[in-house]
Amino acid sequence: MKRLLLQLLLLAFGISVAYAQQEPIRGKVLDPNGHPVPGATVSLKNSRITTTTDAEGNFQIQPGKSKTPVLIVTSVGYEESDVNVTSGGSISVNMKPVSKSMNDVVVIGYGTQRKVTLTGATASVGATEIAKRPIVRVEEALQGTAPGVAVESTSGMPGTPLAVRIRGTNSLTGSNEPLYVIDGFIGGNIESVPASDIESLEILKDAAATAIYGSRGSNGVVMITTKSGRSGKARIDFNFWEQNNQIPKELSLMNALQFATVVNQQDAELGQAPGFTQAQLDGFQTNPGTNWQKALQRKPWVNDYNLTISGGTEWVNYLFSLDHLDQPGMILNQYYRRTTFRSNVGIKVNDRMNLQFNVAAVIPESRNNGYQGDITDPFAQAYQWDPTSPIKDSNGNYIMRSAFASNGTNPVAQANNSLNDANSTDITGTGRLTYRLLKGLTFTSDNYYEINNNQQLTLNGPLTSAGLVGEDYAATNNGKSWNFQNSNFLTYHGNWSGHSLTLTAVYEQTNGEASNTNARSNNLSTYALGYYNLGLGATQIISSGYSSSSTQSYVGRLSYSYKDRYLLSASIRDDGSSHLVKKYSTFPSVGLGWNIAREKWLENSRFISTLKVRGSWGIAGNQAVPAYSSIPTIGVGGIENAAAYYYDGKTPSVYTPLGSPVSTTLKWEDDEQVDGGIDAGFWGDRVTLSLDVYHKHVSNLLYNLPTPYWAGGGNHEANIGNLENQGIEFGIGATPVQIHKFKWNLYYNMSFNTNKVLSLSGLDNIIVNNIGSAQTGVSILKVGKPVGEFYGYDFLGTWKTSEAAAAAKYNNKPGDSRYLDVNNDGSITGSDEVPIGNGLPKYTFGLSNDLSYGDWNLSFLFQGTHGNQIYSGTFPYMFGDQGDARNATTTEILNTWTPTNQTNIPTVSPSSQNYINSSRWVYNASYIKLRNINLTYHVPDHFVSRAKIRSLEFYVSGQNLWTITKYPGYDPEVSNQTNGITQGLETGMIPNPRTYTFGVRLGL
Amino acid sequence: MKQKYIPFLFLLGTLAAGCQKLNEDPKASLTPGTYFQTQADLDAAVAAAYTELTPDYAFGFTSRMTSCFGADDLTTDPALNKGDYRAFDELNGNDNASNLLNQWQGPWSCAYQATNVLLNYQHVNSTETAKNQDAGQAYFLRAFSYYYLVRVFGPVPVVTYQPNTSDLPQRDSVAKVYNLIVSDLNMAIAYLPPTWPGQPGKATQNAARALLADVYLTMTGYPLNQSSYYAQAAAEADTVINSGQYTLVPDYLTVFQTNNSTESIFGLQFNVSGGAPERSYGASATPLDESGADGTGGWDDYYPEINFYLNAPNCIRSKETFYDTLKLKINGVFTRVPWNSPLTHAGHPYYKKFRAGLVTNGVGDGVSENDSVILSIQPSTNKVMDFIRYPMVLLDYAEASAMSGGPTAASYSAINMVRARAGEPPLPPGLSATAFQDSVVTERGYEFAGENGVRWFDVVRLQLLPQIIAARSSLENPITNTGNLQDKYLAPIPAYDMANDPSWVQNSGY
Repeated sequence: MKRLLLQLLLLAFGISVAYAQQEPIRGKVLDPNGHPVPGATVSLKNSRITTTTDAEGNFQIQPGKSKTPVLIVTSVGYEESDVNVTSGGSISVNMKPVSKSMNDVVVIGYGTQRKVTLTGATASVGATEIAKRPIVRVEEALQGTAPGVAVESTSGMPGTPLAVRIRGTNSLTGSNEPLYVIDGFIGGNIESVPASDIESLEILKDAAATAIYGSRGSNGVVMITTKSGRSGKARIDFNFWEQNNQIPKELSLMNALQFATVVNQQDAELGQAPGFTQAQLDGFQTNPGTNWQKALQRKPWVNDYNLTISGGTEWVNYLFSLDHLDQPGMILNQYYRRTTFRSNVGIKVNDRMNLQFNVAAVIPESRNNGYQGDITDPFAQAYQWDPTSPIKDSNGNYIMRSAFASNGTNPVAQANNSLNDANSTDITGTGRLTYRLLKGLTFTSDNYYEINNNQQLTLNGPLTSAGLVGEDYAATNNGKSWNFQNSNFLTYHGNWSGHSLTLTAVYEQTNGEASNTNARSNNLSTYALGYYNLGLGATQIISSGYSSSSTQSYVGRLSYSYKDRYLLSASIRDDGSSHLVKKYSTFPSVGLGWNIAREKWLENSRFISTLKVRGSWGIAGNQAVPAYSSIPTIGVGGIENAAAYYYDGKTPSVYTPLGSPVSTTLKWEDDEQVDGGIDAGFWGDRVTLSLDVYHKHVSNLLYNLPTPYWAGGGNHEANIGNLENQGIEFGIGATPVQIHKFKWNLYYNMSFNTNKVLSLSGLDNIIVNNIGSAQTGVSILKVGKPVGEFYGYDFLGTWKTSEAAAAAKYNNKPGDSRYLDVNNDGSITGSDEVPIGNGLPKYTFGLSNDLSYGDWNLSFLFQGTHGNQIYSGTFPYMFGDQGDARNATTTEILNTWTPTNQTNIPTVSPSSQNYINSSRWVYNASYIKLRNINLTYHVPDHFVSRAKIRSLEFYVSGQNLWTITKYPGYDPEVSNQTNGITQGLETGMIPNPRTYTFGVRLGL
Repeated sequence: MKQKYIPFLFLLGTLAAGCQKLNEDPKASLTPGTYFQTQADLDAAVAAAYTELTPDYAFGFTSRMTSCFGADDLTTDPALNKGDYRAFDELNGNDNASNLLNQWQGPWSCAYQATNVLLNYQHVNSTETAKNQDAGQAYFLRAFSYYYLVRVFGPVPVVTYQPNTSDLPQRDSVAKVYNLIVSDLNMAIAYLPPTWPGQPGKATQNAARALLADVYLTMTGYPLNQSSYYAQAAAEADTVINSGQYTLVPDYLTVFQTNNSTESIFGLQFNVSGGAPERSYGASATPLDESGADGTGGWDDYYPEINFYLNAPNCIRSKETFYDTLKLKINGVFTRVPWNSPLTHAGHPYYKKFRAGLVTNGVGDGVSENDSVILSIQPSTNKVMDFIRYPMVLLDYAEASAMSGGPTAASYSAINMVRARAGEPPLPPGLSATAFQDSVVTERGYEFAGENGVRWFDVVRLQLLPQIIAARSSLENPITNTGNLQDKYLAPIPAYDMANDPSWVQNSGY
């Protein structure tokens, strides 16, 4: 079999093999594109002779005494290549990149494993995949690329994390984000890893893979491995891209004349005096008024610079990288900047001992990128504001308010004058020792220490919404934290007569502390110093906080395989945590696999090259209980903004309210998962298929249950119920064309997931108090329904003239909103509210194509969701019905119901309830996006090598260039979700940009 | 050193670092186990009970009167985002009203903190007097809160213990709630000092008596209907009057533009720059049609019904109570128009007494204006919100004494003090007890127009809905209630807490 494979390899890559007695063997190592591979290790089999290739990939090596010398060529990122030297002359070794081959080694928790022996459901994204697009955050690299992984960019604000869901929504109010493990550091800061630092991403999906992380594994795990230097001469890589960002869509809003006309019509309907005089209306004939969307929005240039220097010797390898991102926002006065630094140094002390020292630092800095999506945000005010009002008056002063606009503040003034600045420094140091104690037995000690200092500076001076009501203030929050992780493990690996056994035992401890100091100063006597001197305030409010956490864990794992055919893995983790009263919980898992293609009767098949069936069971947890949840506390201040009580109206008296009662029986959420999967490859893996079916049952669901007001109000953490996720996911890869210089790869993946709430501690449902001022009580948790069902009245359009009699029963008249009277009691009351939609997609999919012709490469990625809906808080406000919006701004209001044009857009009348939570505001949010398209030109090496350039690439790319959707808002992808329940709720979120990028990658 | 020992050193280091201790110590948080050591601890716990009443979501905003819009002294905008007020104005409120939740949340939160004080004040190492005076305030505040809850919502659970998350108390009878209120107020009277020099915001002995008088008077009416309490109401009020501690401010309007006047018995204190703004004066009471020279505008939250205004006695108090000439900015120029001008969108008079807020050097921190120009309309003021003013004691006394064998000369004297200050003639002598009571109730309506639902609670205890509906102008928001009128004397328990315990039964009609 091995020989056959080797011959196939030789055939496939056309290795010409040379033989020469005693003459040094000369050769060149090339990648599949014919580019040289520098720094590759070339050694003579059964000898200690070894060398490395130079910058041009050339090597020469003494052949030794063997008559049939065999060279072993290795290089990071490529498969090992064994070459029989049979003839003289220069030989050329074509390396095959590590790819979907079954010989890959993949990173798993506390070690690595050959992919062929994996029993869990995992997916990988490699560095070459990541390099295909300009990526700002790590999560983007996961988007559309792996089955079972749904990535939503829920806001177009610079520097915002993306929402990543691996196999559905598992937690109500706890995090649904996967656990990120960076080079072994659990919960490491992914902001510190720019895309160009990533060697590979491994996504662990089923319990056989995630249970090793115990109480933190239930949302899936993303393992990030950063790059390290390769032995050889220093390599310098410089990457740069420049990108233009644009809001892809403008909502259709009325001009001044249309707006004023509609205001007057509605005044007439309500029996009020007209808001605008005829003279004003005449003026608007020529003056279209202010386009607030345009006034607020910008088309910024974003750029990123990255410099990496790497290299090494046999004993030391190093990599230093420096990255700077400058990302201004698409609205006024908003930015995110990030500088990262990384130093990865590996030392081979001797044959037994290896040391690794990594330092990673990130310094993010941002302004006004904390908008949560509320109706009072400038972005939301811009589509509600009165178009008849200029931005500034004739003296150049902002017109802060308008009688016809929303109750908020002039959005341009607010955006320019309200500052919310944040900056932080986050440094992680890693020290790793690996020591081979005996043959097959290795001891590893991983130590991580992360420190973080952060600062938030807020200024809401006179020309802001707070300033207008006399609540102007400046504030500074300073926080500091550290986290420590110490993982020690023994790994035994043994092989005998086809049996392969790996045993791992881990002791791990973590602890951390966080503290903060907050100072706020109200009514400053002058704002000339901004937020830099809080001593100027009439009232000064100070608070501070502290928390600490610690965990202690014991892990054991067994992996066994026989001839790579029959696979077994089992693990158990006992996690102790300071957050719980009952400290320890146990998380077991078992996985089985059968590599059918390795059976004798199939191993010579030309059709089937890979066939593996897998099955696994296990339990992972979600650590969604914050520190001190089980300890009742007495607050210091904290009742709204009151700094104190004032018995004489002036002198502050400190107050200490008793918090609400807490539960002392809290447990982690337990996620029990069963998975069955199949991996198949055909025609030498030219076509691959991976399919998984899973069922997840989450018990002890944590919810911040409302505490009755007679018991102090607020909320308390409680384990309230169960839910399930089940689904099917598959990925199909193929290379349909591979002729000469032309190659076409495609990869399609699709994931179906259904989610259902199974129980809520005896309750039938819980109505959720939502987020933002535009959305209260829009969500419901209901047994038998998916998490976060939208909740409200079923909107049936308008009452038509022919239905006047029926309308009258509901105190309505024709033109008024009509709702379904569910219980048929003749009035629309709270009991007529029903589930009206859901933000969870039925399925998500991604299709990537990669076409290369010689030095050109074109890749594009389509990605989409289907079956999800959005509950919009944006549209009701644009219809100006009620709430804080005073008048409609959308042009759709021009099509309001009239007796002669009986549309389904209700009139504004005192008897019409237009603004209540209803299905009127639920929209289909399925979409297909051309997420990315990228064209790269690799300048032929012989052009640039004279200038001592190793490689040079130019590329252009575009993101979100094209979207198919029925959603009428800005972007079907954005939402204000803060947890699993609020998925699909949208109010005033900034959409994802359409981007145009130009980039250069230079290697020296 | 032999390198093979290095891993053992690591292992040793790990063991030396020790097994993690998994116990929790929230160093920055006070916990009940270690609190309540000193008098200062206790004082801060008492201050929490007061503070719980001040936010927007408690009594700091107009929403504290949501269920009281059914009375004739309160109505709201026909169209704007006042749906909750409007629904109750139309006697068609529902349990989802978020403003109603504030009426529920504020007093419960205060009572929760007060109970915490009462369960722990004995543990404090301090003098008996100091401890008792703090306990007295807690008794007062708990009674104050329950009195509010029982009048708005009817039966509510009496929670005099520290609850835990699994407790599910049922709604207790109205009588049981009143028992708690009366007993708490008697404790407050026993413990509280007559005055708190320099701290006018603290409850005093006479504040407790004044409140108890009002409680007894309410107990004579619906739903307890125990007329035996008239005498006790009169006795408590009489004690307060005879103390000579309070006098009426000569000018009615001054009461609403100054803090802690000579007739203030108990009020909530606010401080805008301290993050505790009062937000019922100022913009909330100002017409939407009005805007200040600085672009600030009114919110149109609450104003009197038309016939309530038209039927008001012709006196200086009415002129100072109502705002009936609006200052509209027409083409940039302030123009005075009458309340019923078609240029106004609501066609209603407004409240003048709630506009200015706290006036300092002639300038209000709510609406800052003169006769012709509005400079600014601010929603946040420093004005104390008076809950018990001396006229309430006088009128409680007048009614209670009249109904328990009167009216006596003292009954007349009490009401006529209020009428004299209002600029009204004395009541004609020789009225029957019930005619006298009617006069007192009318007097209360106008003396306390728009204040904390005083009028509505009179409507409830005396079952006046049919009368006030009959008197309602056709220009008001139409009554949309289709159910039983009798059910409308109570507000529904907010859906929030109905959902927390499915075994609770909602008030009839909701």
